[in-house]
Amino acid sequence: MHLDDVWLRYHRGAPWVLQAVTARVEPGGIVVVLGRNGAGKSTLLQLIAGVLRPTRGRVTDRPAVVGWVPERSPADQTGTVTGYLSAMAAVRGLRPAAATRAVDEWVQRLGLGGFRDVKLPELSKGTAQKVGLAQALLAPPDLLILDEPWEGLDAATRDLVPGIVLEVVARGGSVLVSDHRGETVRLPGAATWTVADGTLATAAPDTGQRCVVEVAVEAADLADAVARLREQGHQVLRVREEVGS
Amino acid sequence: MIALARMRLHGFVRTGRAVAPLIAALAVLSILYGGGQAEAREAYGVSALVVFPLLAWQTKILLDVEPDVQRRLARVALGSARHEIVAGLLAAAAAGLGTIAVALAVPWISGGVKTGPDSLPRILLIGLGVHLLALGPAVALGALSSRAVTRTAGTGAAVLVTGSVLAIVLGLQGSPAPWLVPPLMAATRFTTSGGSTLTALTLTAHAALWTAATAWAYAHLRRTRT
Repeated sequence: MHLDDVWLRYHRGAPWVLQAVTARVEPGGIVVVLGRNGAGKSTLLQLIAGVLRPTRGRVTDRPAVVGWVPERSPADQTGTVTGYLSAMAAVRGLRPAAATRAVDEWVQRLGLGGFRDVKLPELSKGTAQKVGLAQALLAPPDLLILDEPWEGLDAATRDLVPGIVLEVVARGGSVLVSDHRGETVRLPGAATWTVADGTLATAAPDTGQRCVVEVAVEAADLADAVARLREQGHQVLRVREEVGS
Repeated sequence: MIALARMRLHGFVRTGRAVAPLIAALAVLSILYGGGQAEAREAYGVSALVVFPLLAWQTKILLDVEPDVQRRLARVALGSARHEIVAGLLAAAAAGLGTIAVALAVPWISGGVKTGPDSLPRILLIGLGVHLLALGPAVALGALSSRAVTRTAGTGAAVLVTGSVLAIVLGLQGSPAPWLVPPLMAATRFTTSGGSTLTALTLTAHAALWTAATAWAYAHLRRTRT
């Protein structure tokens, strides 16, 4: 799939959100999209998903089956979890028996079994996010687009996401994922796209093996410790307060 | 595409949003048929005219039920912007057929019409035809006023009201530009004064062209305003 000199703005006269973006997503590739809040990550992902049309330029060779998990799943609509997922499976063209199998599989895998008959507006943010993840996977996607997929998920489901990504890649599909939590360190061999000031900088996958080391420091030394690690070329993924200390 | 149309129709009914236009239709039809018996053929012509803004409003409500993000998800799931747009129009047309069925049945239930010189099947056929002439343009106008295009409730209401008023005003006899609006008034005149088969075909072609042009404008705006 190619993005060929893509420009996008939301209406005439508005500032450009994306400018002269040229990039390629290889089959079987994982791309992590990085950037600060409001940089245009979600816009870029929606452009690739086919939700938005470029104002200039072209997006070509988009795979036939695209799964898109938006940043916020639309929970403010009627129906139960099973009803919604079954309807979305039908929209994806699955026959009733295949739709039932797909819904059952993802309800089980994502731990939604206890929420089958719960109405969508009654779901917590995290459970709604799981439903959003499930709808994108009902038909095995050739291109899976995850916009901050770890947001609101419990630890058990967060751990499932890298496995799901690797399954898609193993089938020859591609995955794009935006992340500001540092969770994408668990996606080996991912290329990195950084969105800043409307432009896109791409970096090839890091071929060297990387490890995650958890280090505890005194709160008073935190800023110095983080600064020293960064000076030494290490990537600080996140800082958290130790609970119960 | 049919599955998405069904999903949207279910959402329209299950959220209870279908109730308001149905009550409005019943109220308008009660007023229309409350003043004594009229000839059914003529009454159906007026009925189609007054039901037109209701059908357009109903279409706007149906298309606005779905959250914006869900509409985008549907587009990705279908893999086609065109199919997603057509699915919405199909759902609105199906809902409109339900309202038309009510509009055709109410006068007989309430005793507000008499058959006149025409047979009942012929009257029902003319009634269905004249309401269908209103359905296409109403769905197209309602779609054009939906949130996906107009973005704000005020603009949506303005498009809906302006379109409905112009359809009547520019359709009056002696209008300088009757071709700018769907042939609702002309269809009403056809049912009251009669006309040839050629007139009926011309009215049908006019309504179909107006529907196609407005639906094209809707689709174009939808593709540029996500």
